[in-house]
Amino acid sequence: MIERSPWQLLEFLYLLARMELKARYKGRFLGYLGAVGLIFALAFVFWIAFKVIMGIDLPNYSVYLVAGLFPWAWMSMGVVSASRSFVANAGLIKEMGLAHAILPLSNVVQEMMHFALALPLIVAWVAIPGDYPPAWSWLWQIPLLMALQLVFVYPLALAAALANAYVRDIEYWLGIGFVLLFFATPMVYPVSMVPEGLARYFELNPFHALMECWRTVFIESRFDATHAAYAATFAAVEGIVVWLLYRRLAPRVGEVV
Amino acid sequence: MWKSYSGKRVGLKTLLLRPEVARTSRYARRWALQGVSFKVSRGQGFGVLGANGMGKTTLLSVLLGIVLPERGSVSIQGRVASLLELGAGFHPELSGRDNVFLYGSILGMRLHEVEERYRAIVEFSELGDAVEEPLRTYSNGMVTRLGFSLIAHAPADVFLIDEVLAVGDARFQEKCRRHLQEFRRRNGTLVIVSHDMKALAEVCDEGIRLEMGEVTDAGPIGDIIGRYQGP
Repeated sequence: MIERSPWQLLEFLYLLARMELKARYKGRFLGYLGAVGLIFALAFVFWIAFKVIMGIDLPNYSVYLVAGLFPWAWMSMGVVSASRSFVANAGLIKEMGLAHAILPLSNVVQEMMHFALALPLIVAWVAIPGDYPPAWSWLWQIPLLMALQLVFVYPLALAAALANAYVRDIEYWLGIGFVLLFFATPMVYPVSMVPEGLARYFELNPFHALMECWRTVFIESRFDATHAAYAATFAAVEGIVVWLLYRRLAPRVGEVV
Repeated sequence: MWKSYSGKRVGLKTLLLRPEVARTSRYARRWALQGVSFKVSRGQGFGVLGANGMGKTTLLSVLLGIVLPERGSVSIQGRVASLLELGAGFHPELSGRDNVFLYGSILGMRLHEVEERYRAIVEFSELGDAVEEPLRTYSNGMVTRLGFSLIAHAPADVFLIDEVLAVGDARFQEKCRRHLQEFRRRNGTLVIVSHDMKALAEVCDEGIRLEMGEVTDAGPIGDIIGRYQGP
């Protein structure tokens, strides 16, 4: 096994994520705009459907959508692309004895870099209409939430990669799962519109807690400590479970990919 | 030593509907390697011979720690670098330069270590200005040269090489062999799998011959090659 120091691992992670982005966009600005544009287009479609046509009663609907859709895209695309990371990098795992846990992390970090690159546009989108001026407190709230989301998403990504190495078609089911989860989580509708008896269950959804944090920051410039604590607890539990799973399954990954 | 595994892929349907298939399809009841035991001292070259499919590459995977032995153990002292499959860590869309850094990092090098060696790596590979071009435009020979140059400059005490000496032109092969001998003179240890008997004889002292996962011959490399090639 190749020995690695924590610094070396960090550098490796950085290179892996940067090079992957570089290869994807080949340094073209249009590539970046395309990735960001896709999410704005999605927001536009939801806005037309729910605001213009269905007449949803939410004054800040376009801000509500954008504030949630970008973090969601980071999460779902990170996990889905991470699910392929072991299988797609079979060469690295088999020939190099690479510490595999870093591969799905690189996918999640890549999507995080995407999110970070889109941040100026999100901030402009929220701030320019004038109803929600940007606040100085965003300077600590946004990085803190990004860190929370990173530890929230990484175990999911690692579990997806492991599962997909052993059971090949998981990656397709994951895509379907995230679409269902998206509509089961208050993303295009606020939780206040959910019928009373059901709202309780919607509040239990840890994904909802995380997304609610993002929207509270952008719309109210407030850090939603309750939801953040819930999401953090979920991340901790999930982290422990996945780590135990990883310790058990990882040694054989080189043989099954 | 361990059981070989079958190539069957398990899907979600199989897992849910036919769990007994999912459980048994992971291993075929056959040993891929059995009773293989050897020792290589520091500064020595060790060659592994055998026809295709006899377990040579698997043996290297076990040494590298990618495949865990079902029984038995492996112990290696020092930093290991391996060249099992050329280009496994290369990205076709990235330039040669970017690939040097990425691959170097995969091999466990720090960024500053790659930077210090960068000139030497490119010089050894003889790629010249092509190093700025994307890797997909390279010929096989160029990829091989870049891969070998990187490995050759990785800080390692033990070097595992699989069948890569047979690629590249004759002059470059000669350069690789010289480099490996130089590596051994600096007290580096080599374990090489190859069909190139001449190269094996040049850089190894001892070796084994594998057949169906078992050692059928062992001893000084010249003698094994002699017996392998027949009278």
